[in-house]
Amino acid sequence: MLEIKGLTKHFGGLAAVTEFDMSIYSGEVVGLIGPNGAGKTTMFNLITGFIPPTKGHILFEQVNITGKATHAIAAKGIVRTFQQNAFLPDMTVLQNVLTSCYLHPKSGVWEAIFNTPGYRKKEQKALHHAMEIIEFLGMDSVSDELAQSLPHGYQRLIGIAIALSANPKLLLLDEPLAGMNANEVNETLIFIKKIRSVGTTVLLVEHNMRAVMKICDRVVVINFGKKIAEGLPQKVKRNKDVIEAYLGVSEDAA
Amino acid sequence: MNKATQFIKPVSYPVLILVLFLIPLFTKDAYLLHILIMTGINIILAISLRAIATTGQMSLAHAGFMAIGAYTSALLVKKLGLSFWAALPLGGITAALIALLVGYPFVRVKRVYFAMLTLFLGAVIRLIIMEWRNLTRGSSGLLNIPPPNSLNFFGLYNIVFDSKVPYYYLILVLMLITLLFLYRIDSSRVGRTLLAIQQDDSVAESVGINVTNFKVLAWCLGCFFAGIAGSFYAHFIKTLTPDSFGVLQAIYVVVYMVVGGRRRFYGAILGAFILTLLPEFFRILKEYQPFVFVGILLIITFFLPGGLADLPKLGASMLRRLKGPSVNHA
Amino acid sequence: MSLTLLAQSILNGLAAGWIYILVALGLTLVFGIMNVVQFAHGEIYMLGAYCSYFLIKLYGFSFWEALPLSALLVGLLGIVLERFFFRPFRGRFEPSIIVAVGLMLLLQTIAVVGFGTDTKSMGGIIPGVLKVSGVTLSWDRLIAILVGIILVAALFLLIKKTKTGQAMVAISQDIYAASLQGIDVNRISAFAMVIGCALAAIAGSLMGSIFSTSPFMGTSAITKGIAVIILGGLGSIPGAVVGGFILGLIDGLIPPLLSSTMAGIVGFGVIIIVLILRPRGLFGHE
Repeated sequence: MLEIKGLTKHFGGLAAVTEFDMSIYSGEVVGLIGPNGAGKTTMFNLITGFIPPTKGHILFEQVNITGKATHAIAAKGIVRTFQQNAFLPDMTVLQNVLTSCYLHPKSGVWEAIFNTPGYRKKEQKALHHAMEIIEFLGMDSVSDELAQSLPHGYQRLIGIAIALSANPKLLLLDEPLAGMNANEVNETLIFIKKIRSVGTTVLLVEHNMRAVMKICDRVVVINFGKKIAEGLPQKVKRNKDVIEAYLGVSEDAA
Repeated sequence: MNKATQFIKPVSYPVLILVLFLIPLFTKDAYLLHILIMTGINIILAISLRAIATTGQMSLAHAGFMAIGAYTSALLVKKLGLSFWAALPLGGITAALIALLVGYPFVRVKRVYFAMLTLFLGAVIRLIIMEWRNLTRGSSGLLNIPPPNSLNFFGLYNIVFDSKVPYYYLILVLMLITLLFLYRIDSSRVGRTLLAIQQDDSVAESVGINVTNFKVLAWCLGCFFAGIAGSFYAHFIKTLTPDSFGVLQAIYVVVYMVVGGRRRFYGAILGAFILTLLPEFFRILKEYQPFVFVGILLIITFFLPGGLADLPKLGASMLRRLKGPSVNHA
Repeated sequence: MSLTLLAQSILNGLAAGWIYILVALGLTLVFGIMNVVQFAHGEIYMLGAYCSYFLIKLYGFSFWEALPLSALLVGLLGIVLERFFFRPFRGRFEPSIIVAVGLMLLLQTIAVVGFGTDTKSMGGIIPGVLKVSGVTLSWDRLIAILVGIILVAALFLLIKKTKTGQAMVAISQDIYAASLQGIDVNRISAFAMVIGCALAAIAGSLMGSIFSTSPFMGTSAITKGIAVIILGGLGSIPGAVVGGFILGLIDGLIPPLLSSTMAGIVGFGVIIIVLILRPRGLFGHE
């Protein structure tokens, strides 16, 4: 589904990502892991068009999306969440999710202004769709609460809800479990499984290794912008280079 | 409490509009009508500035776009003999086109720099008006701008623009059209999208919203109505000088919007209304009027950042606190 | 166009350029490096001019005595402004802009009400002109240029070579990280504001002396200043120099060739083009 070949990104003199190759197949849950600063978020930014690559290309469903604008890539079906501030603080949960029903269904500016029956039907559909997503993630009790007044766990769910309601074919989750307690982590993992079960492919960046082992079909390891391992989670866990990459970091810190 | 407001709300607006239409029947006082007309102009300016501000962009060029509308309309009528009724929309369209011209590079920069750029743009517009003497007669100003052409309805009713009354009705109609149009946008999914862009444009972009296009849309829309207000102004005041369209005037519009409150739609209307009327009570202190404005502005910024439109909410929450916890809390 | 006229135009342009740089210098420090939305910088410049004017006319100081005094007084004003108007809203875009814009209105009105709208003259610095092979440059402008050069160099050294300057750069990049490193953000911000306002006061005094002083001179100053730092890149001192020269040369060469109107349009056009190609300005980073 997603093919990345030779992806490279230089920031000035610094090589953030070098000659990265990766493929993601439809229906998988793939984990992208690596120590802090390894280039994971840069990868997300490159795939979703937030920054253009220096070299290499990205194919999504056989279509070249390298260097395209983020909203165009979202229209093609790749949607991401963000590590921080993944939601619209001064709006209710419902409004948050409704906002990202922008593409589905799409409506023009003029029909919105004149409140045509066609537009009203589309708004109804969007509302229905938004409530579906909210219920899917178990947030219907707080749908009218202001996003910024909700606890952290809910806020991360809102981020996922926003991404989901854009009907992604490929969903990129940027550290969805950060700052969650054990209960919240388990609940979120259930949601990710549900997401996969409706046919959405997931690429996940996470630091919570136990969660990664539990939920991912495959794992790709990145360090210093290069791919250092790839494969089944259990195998990768035992990979020498991977252990070194993580231990190396903690040894320096010691 | 809820049932009462549910009944009052939909009735109050048509009643209000009816009252506004009936005012000239009760008073022919030219001074009062003049103030109300200026209020109408300022409401259009404030609400159109708010349209730009919904995406989080603060424009300090609004007076400049008013000037573009004003001079375009005046010159089309004076030099090309166009009818006012054609010149009015053309004034707005010219303003929107110039906004479009600079729109794309402008909206791509950080918000602070956008504000700086609009400040600069406003100054450049004024400079061009001053220097292009062949066209605009520079600082001497454009004089003797004709009033709007008389309207003839069904061969029976003739409206001639020889007193304040027809101007009043015209600005009332223009204001209502502007308010209706911008309100529709604001409460539709377009408005929701614009608000989302203001809150976090990365999130908006990530779900397929073309943030740049929307920002340009809001920008051009706001500038269009500023141009319309300018066109009307030109044929109402009948004299134009570049000094009426400087940074200070742009700041005034910002003050109207901020004092009234940017969040709620009616905030800008309230701000423009109060701050146009207020100086009339301080006529003696005309020179010191800006001090009053700044004072109000600073009080609002420090103590009531949501503007006057936040007062009902503040009042309600204070009432709730006074009442104490209630068993029937919804 | 004769060679002499061309040379004179270029010289005028370069002289004007230095004056724009002078105006933009304080602005690039406050706006570009300290990220303070100081739209009222033009009004500070204007107050500096009036301060010198009154020191000269009422208290009989000479220009060279009035200049540093005015810089000092206005710098002190800057501390008050920073503490009470800018610090409470630091980091919050909308209130910062509202306050800055309100300050613009406030200070300009104080000037109009207090000093009157007529332009005042405080007399030049040194009378006469310098003539070299057909081109002339007034001594006043030459002095302004020299002061400008000194100030640019001083500011550059301050930023690059002193701890305080480096602290300012750290704050501009990440205010949170800077405070974690032990930098007293409040003190440094106040200091930067003082320097910025002092620079504005010096520029205003020079300009007020060469040309004239009016309550509205601040508006054209901030306009030019904004143009220079957007062109050159925010927070960049070399950018301010280059930007100032480009705009100065446009203002020197276009009016004799075409017209004054075209100078404004061309200047604006150049800025738009640069914005499209390099949204951060010619030397901008960040």
